[in-house]
Amino acid sequence: MAEMAARPVGERGFGESLLWLVAICVTLAFFFPFYWAISQGLRNPIDTFTVSGLGVPWLSFDPTLDNWITQLSSPESRRALANSTIVSVGASVLALALGTPAAYALARFRFRRVPNIDITIWFLSQRILPPVATVIPFYLVMRAFGLLDTQLALILVNATFVLPFAVVILRQTFLDLPLELEEAVLVDGGTYRTAFMRVALPLAAPSIAATALISFAFSWNEFLFAITLSSRDSLTIPVFIAGSVDTRGVQFWFMAVRALIAMVPPVLIALLAQRYIVRGLTLGAVKG
Amino acid sequence: MRWTSNARFLFLAPAVVWVLAFTVFPLGYSLYIAFLKIDSKTEITRERVPMFDEAGDPIMLANGKQRMRTIIHKEQINTTTFQGLKNFKRIFKDNQVATSVRITLTFILSSVSIELALGFLLAVLFNRHLAGRAAMRAVMILPIFATPLAAGYLFFTILYEEGGPLGFLGFPFLSDPDWALFSVIFVDIWQWTPFCFLVFLAALQSVPDELYEAAVVDGANGWQMLRMVLLPILQNTIVIVLLLRLAEALKVFDIPFALTGGGPGIATQSYSFLAFRTGIRFFDLGYASALCYGLLITVMIIIMLTFRRLRETYG
Amino acid sequence: MKKSHLSTGLAAAAALGLASASFAGDAVDWNADGTVTMKLGEVYDDTMITVPAADLGALIKEGEQPFAGTEITVSTLASGPKGGISGPLHAFRPVWEELTGGKVTIVELPYAEAYSKMLLDVRNGTGEYDGFIVGAFWYGDIAPQGYAYPVDDLIASGDHPKWSYDVMPDSLKALHTWEGEGFGILNDADGQVLYYRKSALTDPEHMAAFKSEYGYDLPEPPKTWQQLRDIAAYFNGKNWDANDDEADSGMVLHLKVGEQGHYHFQSLSASFAVTPGPEVSQHHNVYWFDPTDMTPMINSPGHVKALEFLVDLHQTGPAAQVGWALGEAWDYFLRGKAVFVFSWGDVGSLCQDTARSKIQGDCASAILPASDEYYDHATGEFVKQENPVPVGNTTGGSWHGVVSAFSANPEATFSFWSLMAMKEVSLWNSQFGWTGVDPGYSYQFLKPLGEATVDEYVSAGWDAEDVKTYTQAYYENFYADTILTYLRIPGTFEYWDILDKNLSATMSGQFTPQEALDQTAETWEAITERLGRDSQLKYYQDAIGFGG
Repeated sequence: MAEMAARPVGERGFGESLLWLVAICVTLAFFFPFYWAISQGLRNPIDTFTVSGLGVPWLSFDPTLDNWITQLSSPESRRALANSTIVSVGASVLALALGTPAAYALARFRFRRVPNIDITIWFLSQRILPPVATVIPFYLVMRAFGLLDTQLALILVNATFVLPFAVVILRQTFLDLPLELEEAVLVDGGTYRTAFMRVALPLAAPSIAATALISFAFSWNEFLFAITLSSRDSLTIPVFIAGSVDTRGVQFWFMAVRALIAMVPPVLIALLAQRYIVRGLTLGAVKG
Repeated sequence: MRWTSNARFLFLAPAVVWVLAFTVFPLGYSLYIAFLKIDSKTEITRERVPMFDEAGDPIMLANGKQRMRTIIHKEQINTTTFQGLKNFKRIFKDNQVATSVRITLTFILSSVSIELALGFLLAVLFNRHLAGRAAMRAVMILPIFATPLAAGYLFFTILYEEGGPLGFLGFPFLSDPDWALFSVIFVDIWQWTPFCFLVFLAALQSVPDELYEAAVVDGANGWQMLRMVLLPILQNTIVIVLLLRLAEALKVFDIPFALTGGGPGIATQSYSFLAFRTGIRFFDLGYASALCYGLLITVMIIIMLTFRRLRETYG
Repeated sequence: MKKSHLSTGLAAAAALGLASASFAGDAVDWNADGTVTMKLGEVYDDTMITVPAADLGALIKEGEQPFAGTEITVSTLASGPKGGISGPLHAFRPVWEELTGGKVTIVELPYAEAYSKMLLDVRNGTGEYDGFIVGAFWYGDIAPQGYAYPVDDLIASGDHPKWSYDVMPDSLKALHTWEGEGFGILNDADGQVLYYRKSALTDPEHMAAFKSEYGYDLPEPPKTWQQLRDIAAYFNGKNWDANDDEADSGMVLHLKVGEQGHYHFQSLSASFAVTPGPEVSQHHNVYWFDPTDMTPMINSPGHVKALEFLVDLHQTGPAAQVGWALGEAWDYFLRGKAVFVFSWGDVGSLCQDTARSKIQGDCASAILPASDEYYDHATGEFVKQENPVPVGNTTGGSWHGVVSAFSANPEATFSFWSLMAMKEVSLWNSQFGWTGVDPGYSYQFLKPLGEATVDEYVSAGWDAEDVKTYTQAYYENFYADTILTYLRIPGTFEYWDILDKNLSATMSGQFTPQEALDQTAETWEAITERLGRDSQLKYYQDAIGFGG
């Protein structure tokens, strides 16, 4: 760990305290929108505009859970939550099931005609692709197969989006594992499958779990395809909250609650996978 | 030669086939659509049949009639007309395209450069012993994973000009075309600066102590430290962050969708938003596909330009 | 005899007592007097609405479950369980479910997506939705194609909750039918009227100051748009309302793009751009297109002048309104920050909602003023008029239910929509602002114009003066001699979308009015070309009653 505090203690003091204060302020600034949503969601409609300033619950107004109860008690919101969960879990599982072996292949085997690195970058480039470019063909294909408005369609779509991510990042994971154990299995006459399943997979498990969590969050947040492909049965949370800017009246309290319902799961998951976030988001290029 | 067994193809094939089927094929199909005009309709005929209960008796209603149900026969008719290059030519005549390209470029250049710079600054700031740093770092992770659409709606309330928490500043955040674009960029900065920050922080922490010490011994000031020591070491990281941010920024859709609806006028209608509206909202599938190809070619150019760097980073 | 009478009576009372006890459900009470009480529950302030049991139709009877096991899905605009248009669906769902044994799923869609979702559903024949809440301007894309289910027979059958087209003014009835056939189920009635702060306009000090500044008496309400602008300009920037220390505005508008901002332009420009005449002809009583060849009229000098006027008017309000949807603008007016707003019926009823409004009792309504000059399309000249005749409008969506032709359960869907179209329910809906359902039907107008009484409204929490001008303004608007023609041809949503974009760009200073409307006309031509000029022309002529 290299940190610039490798200076004598005496030189700290005022300057350092100031920096600490700045750091706290920056952190609070980035947290503010969440705070604001929590505060808004606890207000009675009448308090939306009348409460000024920071609007601290209990201090500036009497908080109420009514907005939450109204929102969560509708069958539609629970269904959207269920759909989002199913789609996100399904897509993560599918992407990992396809991606882990591929990542292993790219980390261990040598491909000759097209070098491993080029295959890896080919996968990587899928991740960079703008989704809107595939939304229309996807829509037509799903229509042709009668898959419009199914959870399956959204699972397929999201799996496609997170697959390249899983391949690239898990390849790095496997590269970081020691080769000897697997080779020992092979020397003993074991198959590649055994080496992969029995040795490599368990060692890579924490990283795979983190990849799954991040994939879950990506799929949860996906909106473009969700609004295009779903109309009733497969509505996910982002589609459910879309349009919360009510056409007939500003309902901050209601928007805040819906926004939080959408944000809380992926955000919590991100915290769970904290250690892997940097590696995950840079697709393994930077180790956090 | 052990790791050149043909088993390698079994490991790799499913993922490759998947990408071919779900990405490469749709893109090819999309190119085909770009030459077409597609009209869809469905013909319906309805048939009324009586309903029966479990015993096989007709179900009677309070009005004395039998309960009926409807069986629907439907046939979808898609007519496609070959248009040649017409859809592509339209791109150059459409004033919405030029505007959305300008908006998207402005968005990308400003948001990405600010995010990188701010993220770097913050990383340097946090790269020291700070009480509670782990907690602060955890908080900084939150925006990255906040559902972008929800973030858009949330910021709609925050940037609300009358009575919103930033309303006292008196800026026309959402009503002025330039400010509205600024607001979209602002939300993006909130969401993605933490990403740049986290990555740079991680990279800084992997810099060996000796380097700093050596620089300090050499009497380097802050600026020299930055230029001579940090930037060269972080070069690869910067490029990868830049590339990833560029790619994400090109896709921008959710935030303007929620925050401004693309307005006022078309002042925040990004390219992706335009393509979505054309294709999905107004069913002009052929033209929308042509529009998408414009975007696709841009991305391909970016990938080709950075290909060598990518090879080094991931190699 | 007497004795036996008494005992029969007692037995009957006992039986009825038992009966009403055993059939008192969560959402519905079957009362002994032949009425049914719908109980909307806590979220809806424990509202109770009582209707005659017979009005529920032949199918809905105590103890019957005519739609047991039937599940229907309806789409609506997204505003949540207690928001405009979608709210009543949530409120009456448990009632309908208990009455019929059916199940309803409500799909809320954002304003900008609701139309596309519906259209994709029917064009692809997926038929996921049994019913849609539609805007009347969507009809051209569903009615002639056979995607909407005709409801005249269902109304006539008497099987379903009772309502009728007869309560509608012709101007509104036209929006629920296509070529004479009924498709829409009564719900909302849209048209824009003027709301103003009576206390400000009748304040002697302001009246005197206004006169000395503008040289004429402050008219209450203003008869012409030009007078209205003067008044708005006079009050703008002054703190004429004592409820806060800040300066207030003249006019507040809702101009957010992708929402319903372009309706302001439609309602306002009607009296600038429509040439009155005895009948619909190439140049008279037309607004959108030349009815002989579909050339857009939207960039005519009359339209341009109206947009220039709207830009002027915008200067008398808060700059932020360029980004405001309905709710924000209404709240501004409700908080007492603007003298005028011209908008839908929601405002009148929201004024009465003291949780949101500070101006109950000072919320007067009037039919929209008219311009003091209009453009004559035949001569190409502007015509000045001394006493301009107001032009009515049905601007908006008049959001209401339609049954999908793909529904396997058209009766159940119709039954659900019809429950909310019942007189008592419809009246209640229109009296409360949050429902988004606005008045326009006979039982919502006051006697002698309609059937309602001031007391009914007062007991629903209304101010007596407010309701008098409110219902009067709507009556005059919907029954006006000249009414802005309503565009209902295929692709209307797309025509309006680009108009909306260009208007928004104008209001935010990116285009001049002429540029905006010229570009709109250009895009309209392209849309007409794409959708087919001949068929569009035919639909247009039919829609406006043009004989050729």
